[in-house]
Amino acid sequence: MLEIEGLSVMHGATRAVTGLSLSVASGEVVALIGANGAGKSSVLNAVIGLAGTTQGEIRAAGHTLAGLSPQRRARLGIGYVPEGRRVFAGMTAEENLFVACRAGARQRRDRAAAMYELFPQLGERRHAAAWQLSGGEQQMLAIARALMSEPGLLLVDEPTLGLAPALLQTVTAALRRIAAEGAAVLLAEQNARAALAACDRALVMRLGRVESEGTAQSLAGDERLLALMMGG
Amino acid sequence: MSAATRIAAWLGRDLNAPLALGTVALVAWPLIGGDAYTLRLLTIAGIYALAALGYQFIFGHAGALSLAQGAFFGIGAYVAGILSVRTGAGFEITLPASILVTAGVACAVALPVLRLQSHYFALATLGIAQVVLLLAVNWVTVTGGANGIAGIPALELFGWSVGRGWPMLVLVWSIVAAGALLARRLIRGLAGPALALLREQPLAADAAGLDAGRLRLVAFVMSAIYGGVAGALQVHTVRVVSPEVLEFPVMVALLAIVVIGGRTSAAGAILGAILLIHLPEWFRPLEKYYLLAYGVALLATIVAAPWGLIGAARRLRARLFPEAPPAPPAARAVAPRPARAALEIRALVKHFGGVEAIDGVDLVVAPGASIGIIGANGSGKTTLLNLIAGAERPDSGRIDWGGRDIAGMRPGLIAAAGIARTFQGVKLVDDLSVLDNVAAGRWRGWRDASLALAHGEAMALLDRVGLGADPWQPCGALPPGLRRRVEIARALIGRPSMLLLDEPAAGLTGAERQELAALLRALAGDGLTLIVVEHDLEFLEGVAERLICLERGRIIADGTAADIRRDPAVIAAWLGSVPATTPAGG
Amino acid sequence: MDVLQLAINGLALGAAYALVALGFVLILNATSAVNFAQGDLVAAGGFAAVAIAGLVPAPGIVLLPLVVMLMAAVGLVVCALAYWPLRDRPPVAVFISTIAVGIIIQNGLNGLFGAEPRTVPPVIAGGHLKVLGLVVAHQSLAIVAVAAILVTAVHIFLARTQAGRMMRATAQDRPVAAALGVPVAAMVALTFALAAALAGTAGLLLANQYFVTPTDGTNFIVKAYIAVVIGGWGRVGGALAGALLVALFETIVAAWAGHSVAMALLYGALLVILVVRPQGLFGEPVGRRA
Repeated sequence: MLEIEGLSVMHGATRAVTGLSLSVASGEVVALIGANGAGKSSVLNAVIGLAGTTQGEIRAAGHTLAGLSPQRRARLGIGYVPEGRRVFAGMTAEENLFVACRAGARQRRDRAAAMYELFPQLGERRHAAAWQLSGGEQQMLAIARALMSEPGLLLVDEPTLGLAPALLQTVTAALRRIAAEGAAVLLAEQNARAALAACDRALVMRLGRVESEGTAQSLAGDERLLALMMGG
Repeated sequence: MSAATRIAAWLGRDLNAPLALGTVALVAWPLIGGDAYTLRLLTIAGIYALAALGYQFIFGHAGALSLAQGAFFGIGAYVAGILSVRTGAGFEITLPASILVTAGVACAVALPVLRLQSHYFALATLGIAQVVLLLAVNWVTVTGGANGIAGIPALELFGWSVGRGWPMLVLVWSIVAAGALLARRLIRGLAGPALALLREQPLAADAAGLDAGRLRLVAFVMSAIYGGVAGALQVHTVRVVSPEVLEFPVMVALLAIVVIGGRTSAAGAILGAILLIHLPEWFRPLEKYYLLAYGVALLATIVAAPWGLIGAARRLRARLFPEAPPAPPAARAVAPRPARAALEIRALVKHFGGVEAIDGVDLVVAPGASIGIIGANGSGKTTLLNLIAGAERPDSGRIDWGGRDIAGMRPGLIAAAGIARTFQGVKLVDDLSVLDNVAAGRWRGWRDASLALAHGEAMALLDRVGLGADPWQPCGALPPGLRRRVEIARALIGRPSMLLLDEPAAGLTGAERQELAALLRALAGDGLTLIVVEHDLEFLEGVAERLICLERGRIIADGTAADIRRDPAVIAAWLGSVPATTPAGG
Repeated sequence: MDVLQLAINGLALGAAYALVALGFVLILNATSAVNFAQGDLVAAGGFAAVAIAGLVPAPGIVLLPLVVMLMAAVGLVVCALAYWPLRDRPPVAVFISTIAVGIIIQNGLNGLFGAEPRTVPPVIAGGHLKVLGLVVAHQSLAIVAVAAILVTAVHIFLARTQAGRMMRATAQDRPVAAALGVPVAAMVALTFALAAALAGTAGLLLANQYFVTPTDGTNFIVKAYIAVVIGGWGRVGGALAGALLVALFETIVAAWAGHSVAMALLYGALLVILVVRPQGLFGEPVGRRA
């Protein structure tokens, strides 16, 4: 579903990612793990088309993405959950969902209903303004919003940031369910334990490069994980 | 050195070949086609050039979109016109009066208005201009109301009447030349780089201890004075003064002159004024639509050549005839100022909305210590630096520096007290040379504005951070690793006792990180207190003797790097918490 | 004159100002840029009505859709020439480029129509009502009615339609909206078209009672600007309330102390608000991105 080869990203004048390659198949959750500033978000932004200057090849849904605008990429079936949620604060939860759906009014309502099934809490708060939602509800809304277009590839940036431990499980379970329904999920996470609980495979990033790569089980048991993330 | 040779040297430094050619062309033009109308238009162009030169101070150099320049121009015209008609006073009286009144008005409104940001400043100055216009229309006994005052006499200087045509033209352009030279002198020294920093990176200017408020005030008052002088000349040229001189088209003309000619070069103001005043003449075949050309020219320039005609010409010249950069200036050592004061933070709290970014931090940093701060995204690291540097105000708590509570003080004052900082996103002026970027941090006012001295000190610091090889290249051309070092050098030129670094190693390669660590160790060796925020423990180990780990705005660990690596709270914070139940993988 | 009578007159003026300020604040939210040509678009709308009325002698209500369409097209041109090429530059660049657009509109109108004040047919018909001793011109009622209908229509468009939602999403967070597949460039263009249409409508409504001249724009932009500052930079509801306040202040104080004093007091009040309460009288908009 997604193949990245030799990706480098310049963020302004700063080198954020150097020579990264990865692939995500449909039905699979792949995590990018690393400390803040390791370059995880830059990879996701490069895929959706919001990063600065990029080099290397990105293919998704059978298309080469170079030169396409973010909205063209979204229309190829890429869903995006930005870091910090970035829900449309002045709009209601339901409007946030509707705005990301390009189908007709009936399908829009059906998709939203499906989202309320996935996140029942969101259904109860559908008419609340997004800024009034709790952090966890906003995170669910951001994920649900990205799913409204039924994407084949979902990019999720730091979904657990600032969430209470009880909510982590809701989010990781949702990501697993989305993958089980056939989507490819690329997850960027600072919370290594939560990420490893949610993913099949993970890449550990530090200073814009991949330090280690492996299955969730092998990395979870790796004592060097902390050192790989911290440096040294 | 005699006065004459000094003036000659001064002129020699300030004049260059294209400027000389332009001056020759400007003199030749009226000589060749010198009918009365040509002379009059050129006189008016000179007057607008003077007002535009002034406008460059506030709009071009200080970067604030003032819409009051037309008002200052009109005030100058009214003051000179009213005085010369009512009292018969000569220009030797009316000119200083115009200057006094415009400068006084500028000072009076500056206090509230200059603090305002971008469009608010534009609106406030527009409001001032509208009030002045209303005053001119309605204060009939003094201003003559909507009809204004006609029959203003020719300009009289110490009893000598300066007639229409050549005499007035020469007088106006002499004043323009003097005004241009004065403007160039004011900008030439360290003020140029300092204003560029203020305009392009206001936060960095504050953090470097530049007195931004005073710089803006001087720019605003200078712009008012130039406007006032131009207005006084205008009233004796057109011999009437009416509210028209205060209306928006005058302001728009000045804005267009500066945008089209160039925002910061004196030549730009002069070229822009000559073009804009003659544009309607040249487009006369368009009849009623000729003023439309004005708007089209302004729009085309702002879209296609935002740096103006002079800027475009300079860029072209630099591309066609690249000049060898001058030799690097001789380095002048900057004596370090070892820290004698301790930093003592007590019960510091800062909320953003409902989020407690800093939630009760106590921290004592001994003089000359180097400490590293680690923590996850959102743990409060940058907020803590911002609170120390004055970029944020704490909700409660104390920050004592040398026995004085600096919590909530303005960044400029904190910088002056010896605390310098760098930014997470490096804040440099890309168009300026590396040398000027560093030198700008030394600005403390016009009294001590020697560029040579600042360049010398900047050179020593560039040598120190390993950038001495090519000090004249523009900062925009530097790779990221080197940009951080320019910022460090700029922080050091203010001779701080403590340096706060926000993610100095972000985006650097391994070798660059090692060089940076070595530099920071050397600075610590000079007795500088260092506080370094970083994600990467390996880098911090090489720099800091003591590490602090922040989590949700609190200090959760404090010790050596080895202590930190073993600390269970740090490990939990770093690797994150496990979801309540782990779904099956695969 | 009675304060109540003045308030009724002020209400009509305020309704027209509200349309101008609404367009101004929509563009501000969508682009974070000040559209300084918004006032000149009012004059353009007035002259568009003059021109169309010259061809088709019809009441204002018939001219209105034609003016709206014409002005929407003008808005698209303004967007393409003065905003889109400068979208990645500091907002002050758009400020200046729209000043240039204002000059072009002013002098274009001056060339086409001359500098004399012109008038357009009333929305429905002339005449006035007498209610409880108050004189209410039909045109004033019509202005308030048309403005109220348009503001409501814009509200419904933004709140209830998919295009309206996409426009709001674009204004709130353009990169994220784009990443969710919203055609952001089209939404920005639509915002300009809508803003110009609203300004043009105000021009048509005001030109009957107050006449229209090519240089009217400066007055309108200053009023809209003040309304938006009073209402809180970026608040749609605040801008509407601000417009009404400006118009009531203008009408009532002008009747009591003369037009010039009213204007001077208005600017004085503006300066005080800017210095003392820069977030506006009603506070900052909720949930705006920092």
